[in-house]
Order: sequence, then C-alpha cells, then structure tokens
Amino acid sequence: MTDRNERLNELRRRLKATSGRGRKLRGLAQLLSPYRWRVLAMFMSLVIATAAALAPAPLAKLAIDNGIKHHDVATLDWVVAAFMVSAIAYAVFSYLQTYLVGWVGQRALQDLRVELFSHLQQLSIGFYSRNRAGVIISRLTNDVEALDQLVEDGLATLIQSGLMLIGVVVILFFLDPRLALLTFIWLPILAIGGFLFRLASADAYRLTREQIATITGYLQETLSGIRVVRAFGQERKHIAKFAELNEDNRRANMTTVNLNAAYFPAVELVSALVTVEILLFGGIAALDGHTSTGVVFAFIAALNNFFDPIQQLSQLYTTYQSGMAALDKIFGLLDEQPELFDAPDAIELPRIKGELRFDGVSFRYGKDDDGAWALRDLDFVVPPGQTVALVGETGAGKSTFAKLVARFYDPTEGSIQIDGHDLRSITAHSLRSQMGIVPQEGFLFSGTVRENIAFGRPDATDEEVHAAARAVGADRFIEALDEGYDTQVGERGVQLSAGQRQLLAFARALIADPRILLLDEATSNVDVHTESLIEQGMRRLVAGRTAIIIAHRLSTIRHAGRIVVLEHGRVVEQGTHDELLAREGYYWRLYRDWAEQAAA
Amino acid sequence: MSTFRRLLGFLRPYRKDVVWSFALAAGAMVMTVLIPYLTGVAIDSIRDGTRHRLIFWTILIAVAGLGRLVLSVLRRLIAGRVSLAVEVDLRNGLYGQLQRLELSFFDRQQTGQLMSRATVDLQSVRFFLGYGLIFIAQSILTILLAAIAMFALQPLLAALSLAPVPFVILIARQYGHKSRPAVQEAQQRIAELTADAEENVSGVRVVKAFAQEGRQLGRFRHSVQRVFDQQMYATKIQAFYGPLISFLPNLGLAVILLVGGRQVIDGTLTLGQFTAFYAYLLMLISPMRTLGYMLGAAQRATASGARIFQILDREPRMTTPPGAPPLPEGRGRVTLESVDLTFDGNTRPALTGIDLDIAPGTTVALVGAMGSGKTALVSLLPRLYDVTGGSVLIDGADVRSVDLGSLRHEIAIVNDDPFLFSASVHDNIAYARPDATRDEVEQAARAAQADGFIQRLPQGYDTLVGERGLTLSGGQRQRVSIARALLAQPRILILDDATSSVDASTEQEIKAALREVMEGRTTFVIAHRLSTIALAEEIVVLEDGRVAARGNHNELVERSDLYREIVEKGMPDQVFMTRKPLEAEVAGL
Repeated sequence: MTDRNERLNELRRRLKATSGRGRKLRGLAQLLSPYRWRVLAMFMSLVIATAAALAPAPLAKLAIDNGIKHHDVATLDWVVAAFMVSAIAYAVFSYLQTYLVGWVGQRALQDLRVELFSHLQQLSIGFYSRNRAGVIISRLTNDVEALDQLVEDGLATLIQSGLMLIGVVVILFFLDPRLALLTFIWLPILAIGGFLFRLASADAYRLTREQIATITGYLQETLSGIRVVRAFGQERKHIAKFAELNEDNRRANMTTVNLNAAYFPAVELVSALVTVEILLFGGIAALDGHTSTGVVFAFIAALNNFFDPIQQLSQLYTTYQSGMAALDKIFGLLDEQPELFDAPDAIELPRIKGELRFDGVSFRYGKDDDGAWALRDLDFVVPPGQTVALVGETGAGKSTFAKLVARFYDPTEGSIQIDGHDLRSITAHSLRSQMGIVPQEGFLFSGTVRENIAFGRPDATDEEVHAAARAVGADRFIEALDEGYDTQVGERGVQLSAGQRQLLAFARALIADPRILLLDEATSNVDVHTESLIEQGMRRLVAGRTAIIIAHRLSTIRHAGRIVVLEHGRVVEQGTHDELLAREGYYWRLYRDWAEQAAA
Repeated sequence: MSTFRRLLGFLRPYRKDVVWSFALAAGAMVMTVLIPYLTGVAIDSIRDGTRHRLIFWTILIAVAGLGRLVLSVLRRLIAGRVSLAVEVDLRNGLYGQLQRLELSFFDRQQTGQLMSRATVDLQSVRFFLGYGLIFIAQSILTILLAAIAMFALQPLLAALSLAPVPFVILIARQYGHKSRPAVQEAQQRIAELTADAEENVSGVRVVKAFAQEGRQLGRFRHSVQRVFDQQMYATKIQAFYGPLISFLPNLGLAVILLVGGRQVIDGTLTLGQFTAFYAYLLMLISPMRTLGYMLGAAQRATASGARIFQILDREPRMTTPPGAPPLPEGRGRVTLESVDLTFDGNTRPALTGIDLDIAPGTTVALVGAMGSGKTALVSLLPRLYDVTGGSVLIDGADVRSVDLGSLRHEIAIVNDDPFLFSASVHDNIAYARPDATRDEVEQAARAAQADGFIQRLPQGYDTLVGERGLTLSGGQRQRVSIARALLAQPRILILDDATSSVDASTEQEIKAALREVMEGRTTFVIAHRLSTIALAEEIVVLEDGRVAARGNHNELVERSDLYREIVEKGMPDQVFMTRKPLEAEVAGL
C-alpha cells in the first residue's frame, strides 16, 4: 500500500519535472514500469507471434521450389510440418500477447484512475467551484478511455504491424530484391493515401458522433419532459425538430459513406495491380530464368501481410493524437495543487468542547487583492453548546461563514479558533470528523438508506442507525419504504422528496455525534406534516452542541440562543429574538415585513 | 421469422436500390474470385514458357481489378445511402410513435428502457439491414464461388482444404455470442464507474465534511477493480477465439501444401492450380469470419426488432374521433361528473365519484394530504389521462370529444418540479407560442417575477438553460415555467404546488401579478401555504380521492375538521428572512 503510494508520488514528481511530449511518453512509461516483467513478456510474445505469422509465405516458397519442383516428398513433408509448427506457435503466442496487452494496459489505467481520484480528493472546495463537474468527471472517464485506446490498441498495433511490415520487407528482399523494390514503390502511396483517408474520416466520424450524441440527448430530454410536451400539445414541433436532427446526421454520415466508398475499393484495386505487377515482372524474370516460380508464388502469398499493416499503421495517427490530448488534460489535473493542506506540524484536535472564536476574520474569494470582501472584520465568540442563527440577505456572507468554520477555505486575514486551536494548526481530518455539516440540498449517495445514515460512521450498528433515524423523526417514512432501511436511494435508487432527504441528512449528521454542527436550513416548502417533523428533528440535532445555522424559518430563529444578522459581510446586529425586536433595528424591520405578509 | 420478415419490410421503399446493391456486390465478388483463378492460369503460363499468354492473363487481372473497383464503389455508394435512409426512417418512425402514445404508457416505462430501444436496438437493426445483409450475401457468394472454382479444379483437394470452413463460421459465431455480453457488461461497469465518479464530484462537500475520503477512495477502487475484472474476462475471450479462428484456415493451407503438393508432383494438378487453391483459401478467411459474426448480428437484430415492434405495434389508447371539433368558445367552466380514475397498473382508485362544477373565472384551491388525488384531478383537465368513469367537461364539451390540440392549447400547467428544455430562456418561455416576440416573453417573465434574475444571467434571455445549459434553482425554474404558462394565455391555469421553491415574499409578488393576469380565467391552485389557499374563492378538500368538503375559508374552518387541522399546522411560519431569491447561492454552493 505505502509502496504503491510512493510509486505514485514518484510518478507525479517525474511528470512535473519534465514537460512536452517527452514528458508525456515518460509518464506513460512510468505508469507501465511496475509491470515491467509482464511488459517484457508481452513484447516477446508480440515478436514471436509476428514472426510466426510471417512464416507461411517463405515456407510455401520452400515447399514449391525445394519440394514440389524437385519431386521431393520428404522435403515437402518437412516444410508442411514447419508450417504447422509456425501456425500453432502463432495461435499460442497471439493468445499470450492479447492477454498480456490487455492485462498491462488495463492495470496501468486502473492505477491512473485511482491516482486521479485520490488526487481529486485532496483538492480543495475552491477547485470544485471553479471547474464544472462534467469536466472533472470526464478526466476520470473519457480521457482515461482515450488513453486506453492509445495504450492497448495503439501500442500493440504499432509494434505488431511495424514488425510485420519490417518482416515482410526483409523476407521479400531476400527472396528477390528487384521484385521486392517493385512491390515497395507502392508503400509510400498506400501509406500516404491511408493517412489522408484517416485524417479526413476522423473528422467525419467525430462529426457523426457529435450528431448522434445530439440526437440521443434530444431524445432523452423530450422523453424526460414528455409531460410538458403533452401538456402544451407540442408533439408535432418535436417530431419535426427530431427529423431535422436526423437529417443533419444523415448528411454528416454521407461524408463517411463517400470516403469509404472511394477508399476501400481503391485499396483493393492497388492489391490487384500489385499482383499484376508481380506476375508480369516476376513471370518474365522466371521465364528468363532469373527467378523461380516459387518466389513469384511467395510474393503473392505475402501480399496480405504487406497491405494489412500499412492500413493499420495509417490508422494509428488519430489514436495517437486523441491519446496525447487526453494525457495533456490528465496531467493538467494532476498538476493542480491542493490549496489547503495540513501544516507539517498539524496536531490532532482533541475532543471538541465547542468554543468557537472568530478573531478579526476577513475573507475574500480568489487571490487577487481587488476582489470584494465576502466577510469583513468578524470578531466574536460562541460559547460551547450555543445555537447561533445566521440571518441576512443572499450574499450577506452566511454560507461563506459556514465554509470557513468547516475550513473549506482559510480566512484571508485573522484566525478562527476552536477551543483555542487555530484551524490551520490542526489536521483537517480531526476537525471534520468532529463536525457535522447539513447542506441545504440533502445530497445522498447511491446506496441504501442505512449506508447513507451511517456515512460518517460506517461501523455504526443497526441499532444506532435506527436510533438516529428515530431521534430526528425519519423512522416512519423509512419503514414505509418497500425495503425499509435497505432501500436503494440516490441517483440509482428511489427518489425521495426534499423533506425526506433533509431528514436523512439530519440522521446522518446525528449519528456522527458531531461536537460542532453547521446547518444550512432548506428553503423549499414541504407539506405540513413533514414541516413539523423537520422542526422537531432539528431541535434534537442541535441539543447539546455548538450549532451554526443558516436560518430561514422563524421557528428556528426564535429558538436560537443567539441571532447574528449579517449584511455585506459584516455583523450588523447580535442578540436573542426578543432583544433584537426591542432594539427596533434591521432585524425588527425584517420581522415587521414578514408579519404584514403573513397577515395578507 | 415473422419479425425477421417485418424487418426486411423497412427496406421495401428502397427495393430498387437494394436489388442494385446486391447485383453490384455479386458482380464485384465474381471479379474477386476471378483474380486468384487468373493468377493460377498466369503462373501456369510461366511454366509453359509463353510470354504473350502471361501478359494476356495479367492484363485480364488488371481488368478484373478495375471492374471490381467500379462495381464496389457503386455498391458502397448505393448501399450506404439505403442504410442511412433506413436509419432515418426507423428513428423518425419510432419517435413519432412515442409522441403518439398516451402519457400512462410512459408512467410504466423507465426512460432508460425506451432510450435503449431507440439507441441500442435501433442501431443493431439498422446495422443489420444496412450492412449485415449485404455482408452475409457477399460472404456466402464468395465462399460458394470459391468452392465451385476449387471443386472444378480438383474435387478431392477442394473437399479436404475446405473442411475447416464450417468450423470457422461456427466458432466465429460463438465468439460473437460470448464476447458481446462480456463487452456490454464491461461498458455497464464503466458506466457505473462514471456514476461513482459523478457522485463523488457532486458530493465532494459531503465527503469532505464527514472526512470520509478514505472510504470513498476504497469504494472507487472497488469499482475500478470491477471494471478491470470484466475487461480481463472480455480480453480472455478475445485472446482465446481470435487466434483459434486464425489457426483453423491454416489447417486448410497445410492440406493444400501436403496433398496438393503431392498432386503437383504426381502431375494431377498444375502448379498454377496449386497457386490458385492457396490464394482461394487465403481469400476465404475473411468472408468465413464475417459470415460467422453476421449470423450472430442477424439474431441480435431480430431480437432488437421484436423489442422495437413492441412499441411500434402498440395502439395509442388515447384517441380522438376523426374530425373532432375544436374546444368550443367559452370562459373556462369546468365540470366533473361522477369522475372515477384508476391509473394503469394500480388497483386503488386515485379518484372516486368526483362531482364538481366550477364557474368560469373562479380561483379554486385544492387541499389535502399527499396522495389525496389533487394532482390526479387537475391532470384530467388537459386530458393527460382519461377518466375511468364519468366525464370531464370544459365549457360544456366532453374533453374526449374535442380536438386534443385545441384543448391543451387552452390549459396550462405549472408544477412543483418544472421541466425546462435545453434551450434559451426565451425559447423555454415561448415554448407553447414559438412566434411570441421578445416583448411578450419579457412581459410574461415580469408577471412571473422572473424578469429580474433573467436579466442578470450571463446572456439574459438568450442564456442556455436545462440539462446542457445553466442549472437554474428550483425557484427560478418555477418562475420560468409560470412565465411559460402565462404566455400561452390559457383559458384555464393550473398551479400545482407551483411556488413551493419560491420564497414567501416573491410568492406574494407573483400572486399579485397573477391576480391581474388571470382576471376572468379559471385557476386551479394546489398549495401548502395558508396564505395561498386563503386567496381562493373556493376551496375543495380532498381525502383519499373523494371530495371531503368544499366552500370558502370561513365556511370550511367551521365545517371541516380536516381543513381546520391543515390550517392550524400550516401557519406560514417559514422562510421569512429570505427577502431576496436564494438562487445565486444555491447555484454557486
């Protein structure tokens, strides 16, 4: 395990030390290096299999010239025996080669995926805010797939076809140099033609793939939104639009049809012309006694071995290009430095008592000095066990406040302390494992209800899970689910309502028994029954803990030990509900407005 | 078999082209088979020592090559066009059918399943009809022609050297059978891995908040390992069958060398014929494989075709009599006469014996617990579902007797989780009236209190939203969809929990605007907030699919226990501090 980590660190270090194409190839080599013996075995099998695949043509020549023509049956038998041996060797070693290429390639990509994933985990929240989720995910999936193509298909093809081509050239040259040269003049024509064809068709295929993706996306969307389509009676419009997309796709596909129709028959023609050429010149030479019929025969038999590798090699360039582009992006991601990391001398935070202190805290997003302050000059102390309700308009800094307490960001100025420890001097793990965070949108992972509740404490017993669910009032709806606590939820499971997700998030926070709780109250409306469940659940959750609540509900705010009113990143008022009303300030005005609305 | 024949029916419009491409393919194959034969003759002429005959035969080879070029190019052009045309037909046909089917069909189908019909199944049918058939015909023809030529040259040698052919075809077919599910499973696992990655990226804050990076990494590693295992399984199949399929024809070649060689020595076979045999067998290798794979593809296409026909054959259950009149003019009177509704596949009725008569221009609030039938009731008005018993009348006309388009044109629904298309905000608002001007769109947006935040979007009304665009918050989507409904200028407006994600003060503003806009139109409101309910002139309390009580607020507080309970618990206690919409925060967090 540590071995592996060291290796991955080494990999990363080397990748950073170098740059450009060389760097990328070295990075690839580094990925493969732990499996060097298998890589070696893979190369050996490749070479042997290729040699065995090349053998039939010269053997056939031997059979004709030394056996058949000399009426030497014994030699013929020997040659056939050799032929069979090479055929069997080819089968065995191409099995090995296919297996090993697959193994090494897949293993290397597996390592790369895990490496990317664990690197992503170390990156701070700021990174995730700056980059779209889809882009990050595509590094782990699409780009690794493109690399898969490069490693598995590309590498094997390069070696196999390269060896094959070299082998054929050498054999033909030995058989008859002049005839060989006549054959080889086609090589550049075929190679360049193939290369151009791949270039043109790669563009065309990319276009059709995009078109198909558009069609699939459109289909998916109009099926998901079928109720809207029906409700507004817009079926005909969608059918027409869909037909239009199909037509676009057909037109894009036409290019590939035309390219294929021109290219493949042309290659076939070249192969017929080469046959003609060999027969003509070889035949005349044989007539004149300069060469043998066996040689002419061997040339014709070897033609396939000559054409296929050129075809395949000309295909490589596009694979190489997309693989390299993927490598670029992957290394770009690996180059991202985590912005927040534990100080080298960070200590484990002892069990939190719950005193939270803001000491001259100011914060702005981004590094440039001219950015607006999200929080400015915050100074206050929350005693252990107090519930603080943060109140203020959107953009007043409530969420930022909570993010700083969780150390998703470090303050730009000042310091935040828990029980007297500066957050920057303790390990992130020891901080967060004692902190419960309930986001506004109760994000659930796919898995069972039980797994989601026990997310922060995977070793929790069933009793503890049930107790937590009961405590926040989630037990009733869970037990009403088809499979109770074993029901699959999240993206791949049943859809829960916003209120139900909220209750599960409460239970998830409760079971971790956090010493400090950060809660972003949901704003969405739920039905009356769930509403009161959430209210009770929240009270159970905050009892006996220091709690920071981004509050939207009056009942929550009323019950808070302290209300902090934020405006433009500054604290404008603090106190209990009654105190603030008595002050007739900002909070009082908010309350008055609300009361008028409620009466309306 | 009948499925197979019906699949061929898709080619009927292109019958002439299909015949042409088969004829051209056959011609090209004859040329292909001629070439080794001519090569053999040419080699024999080397032995005979006659130069002009050698030149003659080689020129014939070049002619055959050229002929093949012309025939193949034409064949590919024609067959390619047919294939693409069939693809377009299939896809448009399936999509048109899906749009014709009634909504309850979709309730019982997972979107993923339908998607797989329209992509995977359609692809395999299209591939088979477009290319597979020709490949099969070509391969069979090649094998037949080569076999005939070989038997004509030397029956015994032909029989011996062709012996591996059926095995190659069978094994290639088996390979297809085994490797396809293995590869599909691998793709499935990659999809799971992607979902895993997605979840960890979207849920990164939760993971970090609970300090569970280690465990998530372990889970991811497990997913990666699953991909690896399956990929290796697929690789092993490939590693086994690939070389085996290549090996078998070598047996035939060895037979030619061994037996044919002896025959040349005996003088029963010429060296040229020997060469031709060898070349024929080499030539057969790829048609043998292709035939094997394509037979598998034919089976898959038939299975896929059966699944597609299941959809195509389904009669739309919601029909309107031909020549149905449009919805008569009126101001939106809604009458339900002893309406029963049971959704397909359910035994419990959603609505039982509902009798309601709503005067034009009334605002009606539907109140009741979850599952009491509020949403079911309103979805009957635009005839998203048909009643099981009784009837629904709008301005005196049974909704089943009028033109569906004209009916839906007069009714607009906004629900709690509105769906927006991947299009600009403008296009989404103008969904029901694509010809609406920007002024009209903005006016509707203003009434829905959406204009403000839309102006602040990166490209204002031209900002792309929906799945492939900017993600709007729930409240923003609700307001866009209210604007969409308003722009449709419906006779009847249905607000099904339409402001649930909008904060209280914005909701009040929307309502104030709505009151103007909806003056003189009939409105149905489903809401939890008492303030909203109290606005209605008439309140209908539903319980278990029946009307439990109806009246205005004051009457119901006195008469209905259920309503009183709802009122007491539903005090508008929430969301008072949030004066401005929260969207920016939701989208940014």
